Amino acid sequence: MRLDGVGKAYPMAQGAAGRLSTLWTLLRHGRFGKSFDALDGITFDVMPGQSFGLIGENGAGKSTLLKVIAGVVKPSRGSITVNGRIGALLELGAGFHPEYTGRANIYLAASLMGMARGEIRKRVDEIIAFADIGEHIDQPIKHYSSGMVVRLGFAVATATRPDILITDEVLAVGDESFQKKCIAWMETYLAGGGTLLLCSHGMFHIQKLCQKALWLQHGAMRAFGSTADVTREYLAYHEEKSRLEKCVTEAPPPLRGDTYQIRELRLNGRPFETGPHEMKQGEALTVSGHVHSPDGRTPQVAVGLVRADGSGIYGVVSEMDNFILRRVAATDFSFGLRYPDLPLLPGRYLVRGHAMDPEGLRMLDHIETTLEIHGDSRELGVCRLAHEWYIP
Amino acid sequence: MNPEGFWQMPRLWWRERWLLVGFVERELRGRYVGSIGGLVWILVHPLILLAIYTMVFQAIFRVRLPEMGASPFVVFAALGLWPWLMFQEGLQRASQAIKANSTLVRKVAFQQELLVFAATLAAFAAHLVGFLIALLALALFGVDIHWSGLPMALALVAGLFLFTLAVGLCLAVLQVFIPDMEQILGPILSVLFYATPVLYPLMAAPEWLRGIMTLNPVLHFVEPIRAVLLGNAIEAETARPFVLVAAPLLIFPALLLFRRLSPYTEDFL
Repeated sequence: MRLDGVGKAYPMAQGAAGRLSTLWTLLRHGRFGKSFDALDGITFDVMPGQSFGLIGENGAGKSTLLKVIAGVVKPSRGSITVNGRIGALLELGAGFHPEYTGRANIYLAASLMGMARGEIRKRVDEIIAFADIGEHIDQPIKHYSSGMVVRLGFAVATATRPDILITDEVLAVGDESFQKKCIAWMETYLAGGGTLLLCSHGMFHIQKLCQKALWLQHGAMRAFGSTADVTREYLAYHEEKSRLEKCVTEAPPPLRGDTYQIRELRLNGRPFETGPHEMKQGEALTVSGHVHSPDGRTPQVAVGLVRADGSGIYGVVSEMDNFILRRVAATDFSFGLRYPDLPLLPGRYLVRGHAMDPEGLRMLDHIETTLEIHGDSRELGVCRLAHEWYIP
Repeated sequence: MNPEGFWQMPRLWWRERWLLVGFVERELRGRYVGSIGGLVWILVHPLILLAIYTMVFQAIFRVRLPEMGASPFVVFAALGLWPWLMFQEGLQRASQAIKANSTLVRKVAFQQELLVFAATLAAFAAHLVGFLIALLALALFGVDIHWSGLPMALALVAGLFLFTLAVGLCLAVLQVFIPDMEQILGPILSVLFYATPVLYPLMAAPEWLRGIMTLNPVLHFVEPIRAVLLGNAIEAETARPFVLVAAPLLIFPALLLFRRLSPYTEDFL
């Protein structure tokens, strides 16, 4: 399956006149004037047997992209090439009619997914067994709980055995045991060479089932690559976002001269303000800088590492380690701090520096910068703890 | 849509034939079979209409038109009413087909015209069964039905079906873009009912009116269906081979229009 520069523009037609003019434009093969780009420049390949996850915030265009791939929506630009039968579960139970029994609905829903009547007749028992809703199968769908509708919908999809399965948030509904059943089925399906396109807000499902991931933002591709990289970036982005929502960014203030204040701070030799800084997992990190002291007494300095959401990981004050800053001028003191092999796991962090009075009582300023640590580690959490495995 | 795409349509429909079967079943089951009365309901609505018209025109107005020929009013009206109902109900159902199934259209990829086919097919199938039962019943009551005219009548019904489908396809897809169509269709069908010679023979209308009336394509199907089954001569005004061929052929431009617009219905539903 290949997508090349796919874009989708929705006409923004208001009122009767707008609708009529859009209709006229469509009839003339023209472009509509006012439109909203739901998708733009989407280009990627999915190989047979690959599993592919789609992530992004609400309104990023995930559903639209799945609809375009499924063939429900015609793209405004670009081309899509698909080899194989697509089974799309854009909404479980979309083909169900509330008045009819579960059994009667299986037939129409399965033919919507491209199954022939004879094939459905052969599989109907298998479908009912997978859905596992007991005698409710002969009740009208309108009496079903939403979980039961989902079970039946997924059961129909599994029976059609598509080459490419597209699912949109279907794992979010249904209870724990049914989710497990779905995931087990998807794993068998993938092992059997099926191609999966999964859209979910639950990173857990994406990480468990998908090899590759695409991060959509405002209808464009923000990141595309291995699931580990993309989900990490995505999670870091969200931590960062929630942090930004919580506290305003403090710009390093100009030198006031009347208080203890950090004048300059460098991360591995680069000035703080040129962030985001990047380094590899396990490398050394140095934080160095100058602190201004208005009265010439030796100030103290605090350096902290925090997660992108602001929760602390490690902080230390120079005085705790009996470190004394070196005087380089009457009111200027310098310091350096080295973490020989920083044990932080790949992700996005913040490094903070604070000047403190000579007594170490007051934290007088606050500057921070972003540090991104890259690596392929699959360990969980924020930092690697010294450990060893042993046979007891 | 390019010309190759056009000729591929039958192949696409064939691939989704079971879906069409499913849609037709759902239409029929939804209206008749699921209910307690079942098949009886197919006959109830036309019979009530027939009873009212017979009451009004025979018992109250005491209409007796020489142009009706030898058959009593109730027979004359019955043979026009069922073909008219096929057209009317087929068109009403077809025009709503896309809108009524908007959840499906927005979530599942399939040939959307199948919904319109199914709606029209179901209405025609139901009323054709009703019509045949009515013919049998009339024959049992001693009415002289000319069965030799039946193949011709069925061919005319097929033509009427294609014409209804053509108009239905256009209305169904335009409905998505112009919601007002729903409001307009009802009054138009009411006017068309009286403009079509169902309750009276065309010859009863004054000559100046007949010229306008023959512009209505439905007339050219309904009148001859009745004529061949009653063994009457087909009136010169209604025997227009051109209309009988041209009206069903409208299906081609209608499909073109539908296929042009249907990729965008999702944007508007």
